Amino acid sequence: MGYHLIFIITMRRLAGFTTVAALLPISVLAQATVEGRVGLAKSHPAPVVAQRYEIVTRGGVLSTQPPLAVVYLDGSFRKPSSQPTKQIAQRDLAFVPPLLPVQVGTRVEFPNLDDTYHSIFSYSPAKRFDLGRYRPEERPIPSEVFNIPGLVTLRCDIHEHMRGLILVLDTRYFVVTEADGRFRLSGLPFGRYTLKAWVDSKTTREQPVELKSGVTSHVDFP
Amino acid sequence: MKVLPALSVCLLACTVRGFDADDFLERLDSTLTLSAFHDVLRARLSGTVDLEAYHFQQPAPGLIDSKIDNLFNPRLTLFLDAQAGPQIYFFAQSRLDRGFDPSARGAQVRLDEYALRFTPWDDRRFNLQIGKFATVVGNWVKRHLSWENPFINAPLVYENITPISDKAAPASPLDFVREFEPADKYQFNPVIWGPSYASGISISGRLDKFDYAAEMKNSALSSRPESWSLTEVGFDHPTFSGRLGFRPNEAWSFGVSASDGAYFRAEAESTLPRGRDIGDYRELVLGQDISFAWHHLQFWAEFYEARFEVPRVGNAGTFAYYLEAKYKFTPQLFGALRWNEQLFGDVPDGAGGHISWGRDLGRIDAALGYRFTPHTQLKLQYSFQQETTGQKDDNHLVAAQFTIRF
Repeated sequence: MGYHLIFIITMRRLAGFTTVAALLPISVLAQATVEGRVGLAKSHPAPVVAQRYEIVTRGGVLSTQPPLAVVYLDGSFRKPSSQPTKQIAQRDLAFVPPLLPVQVGTRVEFPNLDDTYHSIFSYSPAKRFDLGRYRPEERPIPSEVFNIPGLVTLRCDIHEHMRGLILVLDTRYFVVTEADGRFRLSGLPFGRYTLKAWVDSKTTREQPVELKSGVTSHVDFP
Repeated sequence: MKVLPALSVCLLACTVRGFDADDFLERLDSTLTLSAFHDVLRARLSGTVDLEAYHFQQPAPGLIDSKIDNLFNPRLTLFLDAQAGPQIYFFAQSRLDRGFDPSARGAQVRLDEYALRFTPWDDRRFNLQIGKFATVVGNWVKRHLSWENPFINAPLVYENITPISDKAAPASPLDFVREFEPADKYQFNPVIWGPSYASGISISGRLDKFDYAAEMKNSALSSRPESWSLTEVGFDHPTFSGRLGFRPNEAWSFGVSASDGAYFRAEAESTLPRGRDIGDYRELVLGQDISFAWHHLQFWAEFYEARFEVPRVGNAGTFAYYLEAKYKFTPQLFGALRWNEQLFGDVPDGAGGHISWGRDLGRIDAALGYRFTPHTQLKLQYSFQQETTGQKDDNHLVAAQFTIRF
C-alpha cells in the first residue's frame, strides 16, 4: 500500500515535470546549432519598370535584389500555440523583404508603404488570393494566413515587375541566408535530421545532419 | 449537357498546363532582361500574343474591317522598355498582325510606338517625352492594351465611325450626311482613333495632388493610324492637347482634357473650298474623365464633346460618353460592364433647315475574363449596339480573346 502511494506520488511528480518541460521553450532544452554556406542562384539584373502610359512616375530605378536561400530543418515539429504575424511591405515598388520563410499557419500582413495603390495577388497552388487595390493607410493591414506548405509567388496587378516569395514550411526551424550564402541556425533539437536549403523554385538541396546538444555542426550546400 | 463538363476539363487542363508554361515564361522574362554598368543601363523585352475571334452582323461594327461575319485576328506585340539611370526612359511597341484594327487583310509589321522620356527631377514634377506615343487625353489609354483592358474592343467614342472624313471634304451638306457604304468605312473617322499614337512631343508632371500633361502632335485625335507617322504627316498643322488631373486620394481621379488640331490629310487639300487650306478646318475635343478603384472594384467614365469644322457645312458637334466597371469575383475571374452612347447634333441641310449629321446610338458591352496564370488570360465579350435614330439598326457582336503575356 505504502509502495503504491509512493509510486503514485512519483508518477504525479514525473507528470508534473513533463508538463513543465512541455511548457518550456524548446530552445532551453535543445541547443544544437548548424552553420555553413549555400551556393546561391545566379543573380538577376534589377527589373525595368514599364511606365509607358504612366505620365507621372518616380525615377524607375530599382535596387538589385540579391539572390538568397532559405535553410531549414526538415520535419514536422510541434507548432507553437500562437505564431507571430509577419510582414512583407511594398516599398519603392518592390516587396520588402523579397523572400520570407514562414511556418504553416502564419499570418502575413502586406502593408503598402508607397504613395500609390498596390494590388497584391498570388496564383500559386499553395495560396491563391487577391487583395485588390488598397491605399497606404488601409486598416486593418491586408493580410492572409498561409496554411499549406509550398512556395507562394507574390505579384502586383498594377506594377508588373514586382515579385516576392513566401516559402511556407512545416518546420519552425529555418533561416534566410546572408547575401554571401552564409547561414547560422541555432536552438535546434538534437537528433538525426535532414537539413535542406531552398535555393530557387527548381532547386532544393539537402544533407543529412546529426545534431548534438551544445555542438555547432558545419554543413555546406555547394 | 456535355458541353459544360467538357469546357470544365479544358479549363482545368489549361490551368495545369498553364503552370508548366508559366515557369517557362518566368524564366524567359529573366532571360529577356539585360543590364550593364551595374544596372545603370537596363532593358527588358516583353510582349503579348493575342488570339482573337469575332462573330458579328454586317456591316461590321466599329473599326472591324471584314466582309464576312467571322474573323480570326491573331496579333503579336513586342515591347522594349529601357532605363538609363533615373533620368532616361525609352520604350517601343511593335506589332505583327492583320492591321491596326481587326481586319481580314494580310499580315503586316508596324512600329506603333517609340518614345524617349527625360525626367530631370526625382519628385516627378516634370517629364519631357519625344517620339510616337499614345495621347495624353482621357483615361482609357492606360488600359488599352489587351492584358489591362477588361474588354476586347475600345469604348464607342474611340471606334465609332462618323461621317467625318479626313481624306476628302464634302461637296455639300447633303453629301456630308449621306449614308456611306460599309466598304468605304475606312474613308471616315471616329472622334478619337484608338489610343492615337501620333508623333510629337509632350511634357507632364505631378504637383502634389494635381498632375498635368500637354502634347504637340502631328495629327488630330481623329486621325487614322497612317497619319500618325512622321513620314506621312509632318508638323505643318500640329495638334495641341492637354489634360489636367486631380487625385484627391488613391481611390479617385478626375481629369479634364482638351485638344485642337487640323484633321484633314494632305490629299483633301484639292477638295477644300477655294482659298482655304487644311489648317482652317479643325477638330476641337473637350473631355472629362473620372476613375475610382477600391479593393476589387474599378470604375471609369469619360465624357467627350467634339466639334468638327466641316467645309461647306459648318460646325458638326457630337457628344459621346461611356461608363465602365470591372469587378474581380475571385483572384482569377473578373467581369466587366460598359455602357456607351454617342449623340450627334444638327447641321444646316443647305435648304434652310437642319439635319442630324449622324445616327445616335448606344452600345452595351459585357465581358468575362479568367486569368489561368499570371501569363495567360481568356476574355469573352458580348456587345449589343442599337441606333436610336435613323434606321435604328442593331448589331450583335460576340468575341473571344486569349492572351499570353511574356
